Amino acid sequence: MKRFAAGDVVRVLALGKTGHVRIPHYIRNQIGRVTAYCGTYLNPEDLAVGNTAGRAVDLYRVAFAQTQLWPDDMIPHHDTLVIEIYDHWLAPAEETPNAPRP
Amino acid sequence: MENDKSPKGYHDVGGDPAGDIPMVDLPWLHWEKQVEAIRGLLGDGTRRIVSLDEVRRGFESFGVEKYNSLSFYRRRLEAMTDILIEKGIVSRAELDEAIEAGTLRWTDVDTPS
Repeated sequence: MKRFAAGDVVRVLALGKTGHVRIPHYIRNQIGRVTAYCGTYLNPEDLAVGNTAGRAVDLYRVAFAQTQLWPDDMIPHHDTLVIEIYDHWLAPAEETPNAPRP
Repeated sequence: MENDKSPKGYHDVGGDPAGDIPMVDLPWLHWEKQVEAIRGLLGDGTRRIVSLDEVRRGFESFGVEKYNSLSFYRRRLEAMTDILIEKGIVSRAELDEAIEAGTLRWTDVDTPS
C-alpha cells in the first residue's frame, strides 16, 4: 500500500535504530519532496542480519534543498540532494518553503 | 550537523569535515576485483549466502580503529569472511589452512628455483 506519491512533502524520521540502516544521520528530521516511487524491496535492516523472510517495503526517491542541509552561501538555491528512503523512515509533512519545488 | 540523538556510526561520515579531497584515480587491483567477484557470487539471487547488507553490517561492527585502518576492499573482504564464519559456512581453521596452502603455492610461483 503506497503511502506517498510524487510531489508529496515528507519528513525523514529519526528512528534511533541500532544495527545496519541505510538512512544517514544528516538527512534525519529533514523535510523533502517525493520525486518517484521506486518499488518494493526487502528491508536492508532485515537482510543485514540474514533475515530474507521479512516483508518487502516501499522505497521512495526524495529530494531535499541542499541549502537546507548545509549552511553554505556558496550553494545555489536550486541544487537538490536526491536520496532513496524506505517507507518506515518517512512521515507526511506540511508544505514548507524548504521542500524543493516539484 | 546533529539531526538525530541516537549515536552516529563511525561509517556515517556524510557531512563531516573532510579537508581536501585527493583527486587521483586509484588502480583497481586484481585481488580487489576478486573480492567483488566472490561477493557477487555469495550474494546473488540463486545463492543468497552473504548479502551486501550483511557485509555492511559486518564492517560497521569492526570498531572505529579497525574500520579506519582498512581500505574499502579490505573492509569488504574481512566482513565477508566474518559473516561466512559466523554462519558456519567455513571455519576459521579451514580458512587459515586454505590461506597457508595458497600462500605456499604462490610463494613457489614467485620464487624462481
